[in-house]
Amino acid sequence: MTSTLDPRSLIDADEGWIDRRIFSDPGLYELELERIFARCWLFLAHESQIPKTGDFVTAYMGRDHVIVVRKKDGGVAAFINSCSHRGNRICGASQGNARQFVCNYHGWAFGLEGELVGMPQKELYEATPGFDKSRMGLTRVAQIESYNGLIFATFDPEAPSLDDYLGDYRWYLDIVLDNDEGGTEFLDGCIKYDVACNWKLPAENFVGDSYHAQWTHNSAAMAIFGRGISPRKLENTFHATMNGHGWGFGLDMIGNAAASGHRIVTDYWRSRESAIAARLGKLRSKMVASSSSANLFPNFGFLPGHACFRVWQPMGPASMELRSWILVNRNMPAEVKDAYRQAAAFTFSPGGVFEMDDSENWENATRASTGVVTRRQRLYYGLGHNTREDHPDLPGRVYRNFFSDANQMAFYSRWADLMSAERWADVAEPSERDAAE
Amino acid sequence: MSGTSTSSGGRPASEPVDWTVVLEVQQFLFSEARLLDACRYQEWLALLTDDVHYWMPVIENTLGRGAPHRFSPDRLAFFDDNLKSLRRRVDKLTNRTAWTENPPTRQCHVISNVEVEPAERGDELTAHSVFVHNRGMGERDEFTLVGRREDVLRRTEEGLRLAKRLVIIDQHVLLARNLNVFF
Ligand code: FES
Ligand SMILES: [Fe+2]
Repeated sequence: MTSTLDPRSLIDADEGWIDRRIFSDPGLYELELERIFARCWLFLAHESQIPKTGDFVTAYMGRDHVIVVRKKDGGVAAFINSCSHRGNRICGASQGNARQFVCNYHGWAFGLEGELVGMPQKELYEATPGFDKSRMGLTRVAQIESYNGLIFATFDPEAPSLDDYLGDYRWYLDIVLDNDEGGTEFLDGCIKYDVACNWKLPAENFVGDSYHAQWTHNSAAMAIFGRGISPRKLENTFHATMNGHGWGFGLDMIGNAAASGHRIVTDYWRSRESAIAARLGKLRSKMVASSSSANLFPNFGFLPGHACFRVWQPMGPASMELRSWILVNRNMPAEVKDAYRQAAAFTFSPGGVFEMDDSENWENATRASTGVVTRRQRLYYGLGHNTREDHPDLPGRVYRNFFSDANQMAFYSRWADLMSAERWADVAEPSERDAAE
Repeated sequence: MSGTSTSSGGRPASEPVDWTVVLEVQQFLFSEARLLDACRYQEWLALLTDDVHYWMPVIENTLGRGAPHRFSPDRLAFFDDNLKSLRRRVDKLTNRTAWTENPPTRQCHVISNVEVEPAERGDELTAHSVFVHNRGMGERDEFTLVGRREDVLRRTEEGLRLAKRLVIIDQHVLLARNLNVFF
């Protein structure tokens, strides 16, 4: 199904309006799979999940399923989890260690880089003119790269390098990925659950919706702190955005960490403050576990301080699988890692006292977008567009006050640019858009 | 990565406990379930010991033979709570701004397959049970979750109290938008 809607006409960045059909239209969803998910760099795994040769995890890239494997040479390969013979799914496990991947249907066997290594009665194939085993491997991703422990891949050979794709966002990512010389790791395990929502609602929530917390999460804040989330000093809060990525943050250093409910977590960050300042500078040391949320375009969101990193996996226009991991510093004391492990269940997970209310909002906003009248409506995303400023130290487009729609609108502008471009070369340069404002 | 169940692994318990104790444990589990069905969470908290551990691990989807339900205490969980965090959860759910509870969540716990065994400590019992949990929210949302529980119940002056609960479900990806309930 191809949408007859022009993606650019759905996003009015100048006046701050968004057409609600982006949350429900099946044609737009199909186009997203091609122009967003088969094109952008997508998060696959953390290096620490697959330390040894043959270690693998499976992941989605759009609606394609891939196996992500540690190769013999220490690198990482990712290839489609669908047999090159009759298309059967090859690996049914979510993670593990394998010497090879053997298809259940006819027994074709594939190596750790997806290459076809053999099959039953191979002499029949060898005697078949035109059959070339070397061309029958599993389809590999076009590009795969790591950034400070996080592995990303894209299906588009024309996509810019991961470094270019991230751009200045790397300055921000280093706050969570490089605040300690030992680097980071994922705690073992992944929390996965189904939310019947459009994937963009959680993405926009994480990219910049600090405004919802005081209302949506009042009950959780009351339970943890004995008081609501008070409107804080907003002049020291910011939105920063580039290439559709965004980070909404305060400079309170431990705001998110405090909401984990574990004193030992805030104590850890306080004890690290001067070391982090020496490593990343004073400004970034104030962001390391602060009241903040972020989204790396398109569907990789995280909460610094809560340490939860997640993928908004689209399964349909109104269907998503949420996958959530906990990222910690390798050098973090075991008790702090343990506290984070417990906090993962307690805060941002289906049973989390915060997230159980978010997922309700995302489902109900999705569901309520399908009516004839609601489909004709536009939603206002103009809050804070007038607060842009040149900040001497913060890279990207920066807006003061994180009760703002600025990052969300930048996310949707990037979405519209990608959705309306035939190929990467036609995607509007974000810098052009910046200059035009 | 394997289950850390402490039970007799499917074999009938070597020293069967007295049937009156089995009935007593059943009554405890049934009335506990009735409190949860009614969302009477403060009264439910009173049935827990101070050192309670309430744990619902993520069940892994991995290759190989052996016990089918795979989980481990050093991996992420859906619940991993002590009394302090359970109290906070109850405070959250009973706050008037707990939006998931207004309109209220409707739930029913069907508790079955109760087996009782002596536990390591003389004043404790191990109770196995199976639950079917159904939840209705709003006009037409319904979520059903089926699983096993392995409980440690302690005899106290106030009667039986729950000291440990392990909840083992069959889903790897949880097919529900949230878990605003206890099992
Ligand atoms: S489909 Fe995989 S071996 Fe035939
Ligand atoms: Fe939220």
